Amino acid sequence: MRLELGSFPVRTISFGPATRWHAGHLTVDRAAALAEVRRDPRIVTADLELAAPGESVRIWPVRDVIEPRIKVEGPGQCYPGICGRDVATVGEGRTHRLSGMGVVEVSSVNWHDAGGDFVETYLDMAGPFAEMYPYQRLQLLCAVVEPDPALSDESRNDAVHKAALTVSDHVARATAGLTPPERETFELTPCDPALPRVTYIWGVHSPQAMSGSLTAFCTATYGLTQLTPPWVLHPNEILDGALTGPYRTAFAMSWTVANNPLFLDLYRRHGKDWNFLGVIVLRTEWTTQHEKQMIANQTAKTARMLGAQGAVVTWDAGGNEFIEVVRTIQACERLGIKTVFLTSEDDATDGAPTMLEPLPEADAIVSTSFFKNVTLKVADPGPVSRVIGLDRKVVHRGSGVGLHGGSDSALPTAGTLPPPWRYDDHYGFGSLSCIE
Amino acid sequence: MISAIYTFAMTTGANRVIRGARIEHVCGDPSLGPEKDYAYGMRIVRKALETLTVAVSGPTLFDPQAGDIQEPSHAS
Repeated sequence: MRLELGSFPVRTISFGPATRWHAGHLTVDRAAALAEVRRDPRIVTADLELAAPGESVRIWPVRDVIEPRIKVEGPGQCYPGICGRDVATVGEGRTHRLSGMGVVEVSSVNWHDAGGDFVETYLDMAGPFAEMYPYQRLQLLCAVVEPDPALSDESRNDAVHKAALTVSDHVARATAGLTPPERETFELTPCDPALPRVTYIWGVHSPQAMSGSLTAFCTATYGLTQLTPPWVLHPNEILDGALTGPYRTAFAMSWTVANNPLFLDLYRRHGKDWNFLGVIVLRTEWTTQHEKQMIANQTAKTARMLGAQGAVVTWDAGGNEFIEVVRTIQACERLGIKTVFLTSEDDATDGAPTMLEPLPEADAIVSTSFFKNVTLKVADPGPVSRVIGLDRKVVHRGSGVGLHGGSDSALPTAGTLPPPWRYDDHYGFGSLSCIE
Repeated sequence: MISAIYTFAMTTGANRVIRGARIEHVCGDPSLGPEKDYAYGMRIVRKALETLTVAVSGPTLFDPQAGDIQEPSHAS
């Protein structure tokens, strides 16, 4: 399975009479892109706005950030299986991407009504968060959409995500007939048998337990979000978007999944420093002891059947999902598979352990820091000149301890806000160091 | 402590751990319908109350569905 990934760097975006990419500049035909979005009768309002690094602009609510990718050769469609797209197995041929940009999905639609999973992410393009999140270094094309409020939760989620994918496809199509200025070929070529065999166990949240639905919108494998046994994916499938965001944290977006530096480094050093065997996607948020232990055992067994001697493990969630993740590590180690765990840490207030269940087998851990911004005393982001999205920001109880602590409130988005609640860097993008 | 993730409850040092249903409904199962759900929940809660009369020497698991399973702690 061979995939050529052609990159078209985007350094500036503007609106213009036709959608085209030329020498690092993307022009977007706003009316044409919006006409495609409005073809879906579920969409009531739709607009496109631009945000560039360094601008005094705040985007709220941010549901997802998508890197435009399109298949120009080979079977299937990028971001397969989502919102009714083709489920043909991807990962072969040639894919074009617009690098250095993201399509931002901006809408008031929440994930689902149960479980307290609120859309919380907002993005500032300047100020204290410019260094914390990768998106502020991107040129952002924001799809601001609202669906028919009479539709079900899942229909509204499907409608707004489809709208963002439609915008992503619209701009990616501009590269279809062009020669990419940057190309990289990805293939799991046969390599020196002496190299250590390594797999990547990639934990992603499932919304099934908390939503009570098999089809609630969330992090997806070929569009599926339900709790499933471990999936073995060829890394080229990841490059074509077979695994996508978003989950509720700012680092669990489709863009961060597609640009996961840990994954890309594992793949690029295949045949040089190790033999990369592929990705095992581990679904998390199983809700009984039996299920958690079984998925851990089966994931480790799958790694062993792939021939793994080592595994790198990440996850994108919090709370009880730690159990199946850390027990997967334990199960791997008991089968002789060495593991390294990349994770953010919990609140250490009053000497609490920063990992829910510290097991002795998890003895090689890379911390990407501690997540609670209010405890870290991250400064409150100040007023901004422009808002993309909603002009009021709901602050949920517990997310604004300190300045707005105690009760839910709705504050002007353009004014001073509490910092985003969480900072969970799932894949090692950031530059924060851990708490010792 | 009634818990669906019972071995974890034991590693935290709870002396009497009662095996619950699922994280999202620890003392019941809405899929059973109101009557059976109530009976199922009562069985868990009664077992929890009964264990208060049982002397234990350390973290001990009680299973309301399968008689008493008493296991030593897996604390690590």
